[in-house]
Amino acid sequence: MRGAIAIVKREIRSYFCSPIAYVVLGVFLFVMGVIFAKFVDLYQRFNSAQQFGQAQGITIDKVATYLYQNMAFILCFVTPFLTMRLFSEEKRQHTLELLFTAPVRELEIVMGKFLSAYFLMLLMLALSAIYVFFMVLWGNPELKIIGATYLGLALALACYVSLGGLISAMTSSQAIAAVWTFIALLFLWLLQSLGQGITAAWGPIQWGPTLVYISPLGHFNSFSEGLIHVKDVVYFLSFTIFCLFLTHRVVESNRWR
Amino acid sequence: MIEVKELTKKYGDRIAVDNISFSVKRGEILGFLGQNGAGKTTTMKMLTCFMPATIGTASIAGFDVFENSYEVKKRIGYLPETPPLYPELLVSEYLNFVADLRAIPRREKKKRMDIVLDRCQLGDVKNRLIGNLSKGYRQRVGLAQALIHDPEVLILDEPTVGLDPKQQSEARSLIRSLRSERTVIYSTHILSEVAATCDRIIIIDRGKIVAQEAINSLGATGTMTKTEVIVQRSSENVAQCLRSISGVKNVQCLSNGKERIIVESEAQEDIMAEIAKVVVNNNAGLIRMAPVQLALEDYYLDLIGGKRGVVI
Repeated sequence: MRGAIAIVKREIRSYFCSPIAYVVLGVFLFVMGVIFAKFVDLYQRFNSAQQFGQAQGITIDKVATYLYQNMAFILCFVTPFLTMRLFSEEKRQHTLELLFTAPVRELEIVMGKFLSAYFLMLLMLALSAIYVFFMVLWGNPELKIIGATYLGLALALACYVSLGGLISAMTSSQAIAAVWTFIALLFLWLLQSLGQGITAAWGPIQWGPTLVYISPLGHFNSFSEGLIHVKDVVYFLSFTIFCLFLTHRVVESNRWR
Repeated sequence: MIEVKELTKKYGDRIAVDNISFSVKRGEILGFLGQNGAGKTTTMKMLTCFMPATIGTASIAGFDVFENSYEVKKRIGYLPETPPLYPELLVSEYLNFVADLRAIPRREKKKRMDIVLDRCQLGDVKNRLIGNLSKGYRQRVGLAQALIHDPEVLILDEPTVGLDPKQQSEARSLIRSLRSERTVIYSTHILSEVAATCDRIIIIDRGKIVAQEAINSLGATGTMTKTEVIVQRSSENVAQCLRSISGVKNVQCLSNGKERIIVESEAQEDIMAEIAKVVVNNNAGLIRMAPVQLALEDYYLDLIGGKRGVVI
């Protein structure tokens, strides 16, 4: 694990030595801030409307649910910027030769890369807890639901990052890695709607529910409603482990290809 | 220390390295000579476990590079063609990272870093960003990286490319100073560098080894030697008489401004005296005569089938 730790330290240093970490964190927090403000505004208007008996009010818990469902989607756009450089940049800079000729196992390289990007994403999540602070200050949200949501976000991010890392390992161009990661994440996200539209069954497989199951959206949504299902946890973990396994194979293939 | 047996590497249909075998003894500096694309880098990549061989085996310190790559990697220091540097790190941060990758214990890390900074003359730049360094300094940081764990075997791919002449000679003396402690394989296409630094050379051309020699036995190719004679008046008669000397194999008359005769003969001590006697007796007006040192360059060009330079 020593090699992995060295790589994590180096990666995090590189993130913060270049503008990328600051730009991504800043843009993410700005966008989320705008969305949060919008939901809070809606919440206020509905509630004042409700006082006059005109409309159904929305609760602060609904604000949190909408906010975090949006956040899970926006993270699809953010992830590629942090994962694109993981392997591509090493290839372009020829530093992969350093890693591959040092006494470090491929698994340590893959884990080091994954953990460093994941750490940064978790840092981003931690910073977004500022919204929880405001909600508690001026409302009375159900903190257990928010806790479950954060668990869901952390699990979803693990699979975003592992997928981004896998794509980065397959190309030496950061731009290509970013674009493909974004397309892949968006596609996974859209599988939900796609699957819901399919009602017919071809052959023995129910394609509609299968596609819905493959999409992370539904799995995340149950977390954001405060439900921690084992099947959702298993989905995210197995997705992540599968991507890490494939990344390991791709990296290892450099040794025999 | 290094054993290479029938190593072959194919990229698709193209054969980059074709069935090469050699061995390097402990403490030896081996020069790896060849044109661009001759297969030097590919061979080095296979030796450093970066890339597998298609056929054949190689071992370093008794460990197979494919089967036991972890043990091999611990024992080698490798400077690739492009130094593997992170431009966003400081020199000291970078060396610290490499030391961590190489599992140098915390206690020794500081000491090792000071040693390589001093050896590669990087003390002045250790707190500068690698991205801001000149090419020569980057090359030296790359060398420091290869030396930090005090490896038994050093594999350097064109370590002097991009250095100015002063830095080149510094790099060469650095490499020479490593002799006896370490085994070094070192590739280049600069001929004078090999002559100045290495104990032995391997010349590789189109993936094949065309020569392996100790550096001091170069020039005298077997038992044949050449003598250049410069005279005032050359004639066919002189050439005829020279040919009749026993031991002389071939006589060439060249005239470009001055009359030159190249005598190829068996390597005997008294043959020079015989040639002198014949030339003087024929009243050709002897100006100068000297044995032709077969230069490394001629030898090299000869082997790789290039156009040979003008003799002397």
